[in-house]
Amino acid sequence: MPASLLGPYSRTILAAAVLLITLGFALSGARGEVHNGLLPFFEWLETTWFGVAGKTWGAVFATVQSVHLLGLALLGGAVLAAEGRLLNVILTDTPRELVCSRCNRVFDIAMITLVATGVFMACGVAVKIYYLPVYWYKMLGLAAGALFHYFVRNPVLAQDLENVNPWLLKAMAVASIMVWFTVAATGRWIGFSG
Amino acid sequence: MFNQLIHNIAIWLDDTRWSTMLHESYYMYNWVESTHVLTLMVSLGMLFLIDLRMLGLALPDVPASTIARRLNLPMLVGFTVMVVTGLLLFYAVPVRSSQSIWMRIKLVLMLGLLINAVLFHRRMSEAGSGWDAQPRAPRNLRLGAMFSLAGWSVVVTCGRFIAYDWFDCQYMDPGLMSSLAGCIEGQTRF
Ligand code: HEM
Ligand code: HEM
Repeated sequence: MPASLLGPYSRTILAAAVLLITLGFALSGARGEVHNGLLPFFEWLETTWFGVAGKTWGAVFATVQSVHLLGLALLGGAVLAAEGRLLNVILTDTPRELVCSRCNRVFDIAMITLVATGVFMACGVAVKIYYLPVYWYKMLGLAAGALFHYFVRNPVLAQDLENVNPWLLKAMAVASIMVWFTVAATGRWIGFSG
Repeated sequence: MFNQLIHNIAIWLDDTRWSTMLHESYYMYNWVESTHVLTLMVSLGMLFLIDLRMLGLALPDVPASTIARRLNLPMLVGFTVMVVTGLLLFYAVPVRSSQSIWMRIKLVLMLGLLINAVLFHRRMSEAGSGWDAQPRAPRNLRLGAMFSLAGWSVVVTCGRFIAYDWFDCQYMDPGLMSSLAGCIEGQTRF
């Protein structure tokens, strides 16, 4: 579908549509069926090379967990520096555009690290997390966060910020901080559940 | 001697009412631990940006001294929360934590990293600002940044490893490892 069909805000509209569809799905009966259908997939994950490695060598799993945490720290740095700048609380003597675009590169590297190590860990404990609601909340939060970051926040920041309502920028900054702290908190909670 | 002294202090802490309450409260303990983990985003998040800036790997075209100065305060706030929540985690499970080899490496390393940070700070003010706009800092600052990045990564790994029981005193025979971990022969509380 050509993006222009939806006007200048095509990506924002698409992101909102995805969120609405997800919400509708979550509240409907289809959710349970899909969940049941996914069990074989999660069982298969444990038989993959990652799954076997993660289950066999505790030290490897623990080291990957540590790298996941390092990715978390880096993500936190990128998010807090950029959003802190948009909120006018840190780096106030540096242009907003500069801070945000440079932090975005750090963010991307952190996200790649988190997804790679996250997938590895998920394979090792696939059936356990399949039955954990908090794991699904984390994935929902992660999907919402990534859609927001790449399809809402970045396109807005790519404009001339002088023309953007300052309250919109502040609201985006607060939303971004909240979503990533929520994803991190649900992530930690996976570990508490058995 | 040293290990016995630590063990005695740990037993004493373990017998206090608040330690038991914290340890037995599912939500309280897990929230303290979650706060310890989430605050990595503030403390190490800021620290990583500063160190990576010195190496020219993050925000290379923002003046290095601006990054170091402006991110210092949030970083220190983060570290303060880390220390408070860390002490609480230790207090909740004092005997086992005090006899964890990972906890011990973590604490010694953090001491070294503290010294490194003070030296870094001093070198930073001595270096003037002639290089501020360069992507990479002078060599001695880069070395400090590399040591900091590597050291804190090991601290995180040790922190994560505390939860595993590979080297717990119950499962180790007397020897070098067990005395480094602080195990006491014939101890009855773990
Ligand atoms: C595809 C992406 C991801 C997957 C599949 C994933 C998967 C996982 C899994 C399975 C665990 C639990 C490991 C255990 O059994 O203890 C975990 C832990 C965690 N995750 Fe992720 N994750 C992903 C992305 C993220 C992101 C983006 C963040 C941060 C915003 C994050 C933050 C955390 C945290 C804080 C923990 C707790 C780590 C600990 O204290 O050991 N994850 N993740
Ligand atoms: C200031 C820098 C610090 C950093 C970067 C740090 C890092 C970490 C990390 C990454 C974990 C693993 C958390 C998890 O995945 O669940 C951890 C756990 C822990 N930390 Fe820290 N920590 C710091 C300070 C402290 C201090 C000062 C203490 C206490 C004296 C402490 C005591 C603990 C304890 C007892 C645990 C183990 C919790 C468990 O049983 O899993 N930490 N730390």
